[in-house]
Parts: sequence; C-alpha cells; structure tokens
Amino acid sequence: METQERPQTSADAAATDEPPDDAALVVEGLAKRFGSGEAAVTAVDDVSFSVGRGSVVGLLGPNGAGKTTTIKAILGMVLPDAGSVRIDGIDVSEQPSAAYANVDAMLEGARNDYWRLTVRENLRYFATIGGVDPDSVTARHERLLDQLDLTEKADEAVRDLSRGMKQKVSLASVLATDADVVFLDEPTLGLDVESSLTLRRELRRIVDERSLTVVLCSHDMDVIEAVCDRVVIMNDGRVIADDTVERLLSGDGTQRFSVASSDIGEALLARLRERFEVTQVTTDGERTRVEVATDSEGFYDLTDQLRAADVTLDSVNTAQRDLEDVFLGLTDDGEGRR
Amino acid sequence: MTGQPAGETPSGEADPRPASYYHLARAVLVREFLLFVRYPANAIGGIVVSLFFFGLLFYGGRMIAGQALTDSLEGIVVGYFLWTLAVGAYSSISNDIGSEVQWGTLERHIMTPFGFAPVALLKGVAKVVRTFLTSAVILAVMLLLTDTTLQLPVVTITVVSGLAIASVLGLGFAAGGVAVLYKRIGNWLNLLQFGFILLISAPAFDLGWTKFLPLAQGSALLQRAMIDGTRLWEFPALDLLVLVGVAVGYVVLGYALFEAATRRARRLGVLGDY
Repeated sequence: METQERPQTSADAAATDEPPDDAALVVEGLAKRFGSGEAAVTAVDDVSFSVGRGSVVGLLGPNGAGKTTTIKAILGMVLPDAGSVRIDGIDVSEQPSAAYANVDAMLEGARNDYWRLTVRENLRYFATIGGVDPDSVTARHERLLDQLDLTEKADEAVRDLSRGMKQKVSLASVLATDADVVFLDEPTLGLDVESSLTLRRELRRIVDERSLTVVLCSHDMDVIEAVCDRVVIMNDGRVIADDTVERLLSGDGTQRFSVASSDIGEALLARLRERFEVTQVTTDGERTRVEVATDSEGFYDLTDQLRAADVTLDSVNTAQRDLEDVFLGLTDDGEGRR
Repeated sequence: MTGQPAGETPSGEADPRPASYYHLARAVLVREFLLFVRYPANAIGGIVVSLFFFGLLFYGGRMIAGQALTDSLEGIVVGYFLWTLAVGAYSSISNDIGSEVQWGTLERHIMTPFGFAPVALLKGVAKVVRTFLTSAVILAVMLLLTDTTLQLPVVTITVVSGLAIASVLGLGFAAGGVAVLYKRIGNWLNLLQFGFILLISAPAFDLGWTKFLPLAQGSALLQRAMIDGTRLWEFPALDLLVLVGVAVGYVVLGYALFEAATRRARRLGVLGDY
C-alpha cells in the first residue's frame, strides 16, 4: 500500500452532519427517481454530504448504488427531484454559470477530449473553454505534461495514443483549466499497474499543490486509500458511511485474529462461538483455523480460553482491515454509520 | 497564500488570466481550422460528392430537358450553391452536437463559464466559415463545368447567403436537441436536407408567406444578386428586414428547442448517454 503524508484539511476532521464553513461543495437532500409508477427506480435517495475546500473525497459504492447519478446531479447533467447543491456557496440551480465557473469533470466512459487534436491542443482548447487564457497557463501545461509522462506525446494526436495514455490526456485536459473543484470518475480505468501508481501519486501531488477540491469515484480501493482524505460510501441510492479513511479502517476498534491448532474440537468451538464473534472456521486435515473479530481485551480473553482448554497453538495471526473489507462489510449487510 | 510573489501560484507559475470572448472565438476557430487542414478527406469527399450530384443533374437534365435546362441554368447553379451551403451548415451543427454527446465533451461545453449559447454559436460560425470555403470551390467548378457566368458581388453574396443559412443553423440546433434526446437518429435528421431543395425553390416573391420559411427569402435575394447583379444596398429595406428577421427568428427558435430538449434529457437522465 502506498502511503503519503497529507496536509491536514477540513476533511480530516471527523465527518459531521453540519457542513464546514469553508465547504467547497455542499449536497443536501438530493433525490432522483427515474420512470414512473411501478417501474420507477429510485437512483438517489436523500443524499447529503459536504466536501471541504482542498480535500479529496472518494465516492464508493457497488454498481447501481447511485454514484454516477449523484455526480451528474451535482454537475447539472441530471435534474434532481429534490435537494440542493451548492458549489463555493452558490446554488447550482439558481446560478449555474457562476457555480460551475471553477468546476471541471472527467466522467466515466467519456472520452472527454478531442482525439483528432494533439495532446497540447486539447489542453489549450479546454483551458479556454474552462475560462482561462491558454497563453497564461503554458508553463502549467508543460508541468502537467511532465507530471503525467505525456511530454513526449504532447504533439501527437490523441487518437494515436494507447488507452492508458488517452486516460492520462483526459485527466490532463481537466486539470488544464483553472478549476478548483474537480470531479473524477474512474480516473485510473484501463491503466496498467505502473501507470495507475504514477497517476495516483501525481494526482495527489497536484491536488496538494493547487489546493484542489476533488470528488473521486473509483472501484479501485487502492486509489481511494492512496488519494482520498474521506470516503462517502453509497448503497441503494443512500449514503451508508461518511468518514475519514483512517476512521473507516479503524472501524469500532475490533481486529480479526486467526488462531490455528490441532486441539480445537467441536465442544471448544461451540464455546468460542458463544463467547466471541467467530467470522471464519476452516479445517485442514487435523488442524482447525478459527478467525475471531474482537478487540485487544477480547484477544487476551481468547488466549485464556484456549490455555484453559489445553490447546497448543500452531499459529496466531492478525488480519489488517483494508478499505475493501470495510466496503464489503457495509454494502453486504446494508448497515451503515454516519 | 503566503511566502510567494503576488501573481504567482505555489509552484512559481504565473496566475492564470481569465479568457475573454476573443480567446473563446480563437479557440473554436483554431480547432475548426486544424481539423479542416489536418483531415481534409472529409471536406474533399463532400466537395466530390456534391459535384458528382451536380454533374448528374446538369448532364442528365440537359439530355432530358435540353434548352429548358440551359435557360434556367444560372438559377440552378445559384440554388445548388446555396443548397451545399445549407447542407454543410445544418449537418455540421446537428452532427457536431451528436458527436459531442458521444465523446463526452458536450458536458464540458455546457458547464463552461461562458455559457453554452456563445460557445454553440461560435462553433456554428466556425462551421459556416468552413462550409463557405468548400461551397466556394463547388461554385467555381460548377461555373467552369457549365460555362456559365454569374455576378459575384462578394459582400452581397456573403451577407445574403450568411443570413440565409443562419436560419438553417437554427434547424441544426433543433435537430441537435432531438439527437441529444433520442440518440442515433442522425440518418433520419439528415433527410431534412432534401427539404432544403423545396425551401430554396420556394417562390418567396410570388407567394408571400413562403418568405418566412428558412432559406426561401435568402434564396430569392441571392438569385437577384448573382444573376441580376443587385447589390445589398439596392434591395428594398423590407426584403432585408424579412431576411434578418427570419435568420434571427429561426436561430432563436432552434436554440430554444435545443435548450428544451437538453432540459428534458437532464430530467430523464440521458444527457451524455449514447
């Protein structure tokens, strides 16, 4: 896992129900249904969250959770049935041009740029469309090309580049503007491992350098863990968790401990099940491996129980939770915490 | 920010300056120019196909109608010239919007701080300028092919035909809006191009109400300019007023339809889907 030091942002504070005063993005009570009657589908149901200025928030959820509809509703691509979106304090439904003046987006599956133009021409064009004189950001573009390893390809038509390169150009064209609120939907889609690592490292660096506010959607948990300060997890159109990455990973203080021995019989196993949250039991010949979710006090209790039963342990392991475990735990049982 | 000179970003780069409408126009026109010169096959293909159909019309018509066609040849050349202009402007606008939807770039144009309308209109102007260039080539070849002589008052032709095809831009916006909503119906929308023949040949001076249709008044004035040599300032003010009114009216109506279609697409959640 890649770890980097991050500057403290408002997102690093505990997520609260009240949006921070300096929130760059505030979403309140967003709702959207498609269709009518019995065929109606609730895509987004009373979604609220805020994103502090200069922070990166990951939007996670299984397919059909409502992430893309939420992003499109924030960007005005989908008209919500209810709720409000404020960017830099400006209501997007009342003053869309002003609200989106410093916003850009890279949406999932979209080419997002012109393949028949060169990389550099795309940066200049989209900088202008984004409201920036392209001559005033030439140095920034060169730096961006360098950071994303695109300098050598800068004067080639995008159509002639590999898929991974095209993805980088798409990201570069979004960062080429002077936007300070950026939405990135699957920015590492289609990239090989090395390119993905480079991109997430440079993305985080650019975010910190320019104090960008980013909402990032990705199925790649490594990207979310490496880049995001906070994670909003959605399921069935609702927000089921909204917290910092660290807090989500630490969970409620429990860890999973795995003990293996040839002395664990059915009777002991039954007693362990009564006393602990046994998450997994596997047998391999004579040996039984038991996985228990508990805190450190519970672990001492577990070892006491095993000693009392004259169990000789073959191995003891702890399993570190990662974001994928958290995500699966939350989305599997549909229970969340805010 | 602290510890850095005014006007500089933390990385030492100069602060970005806001873009003006000049920068926007330059960006849109440069993009159109680059695509035109870098990928000339589309433009050349369009010219060849247009000339092929004109050849069929001219030689086929002369075999069938003989002198009758020769007598009306000047009118046919002017009408065909305007038709190629109209088709070029209409299809480039409606197809362009469809392509932007497909590429995922329409959203970025809708979110631009300039607002979508100025960007769309500038893109329309860029398309019209490009179409003028290709139609001028077609006109020159038609004149050579038919050994016909026409008056070519450049200012009058530019203004009259420009205003005439402005109404077609409005139709292009409306068709683009329909494409945003219903997707992949470009072939059906392209059928409208054949309706332009009727509009260009509408008797705007004899049948008054037809002058309010797209292209009709412009076509009638262009015939006078190129066949009779009438200059812009020699046209009755009312005729020019109708030409301007029809141009503005259809652009506004077409853009309003595009806006309504994109609003409905946003409500249905299909904007940007393809």
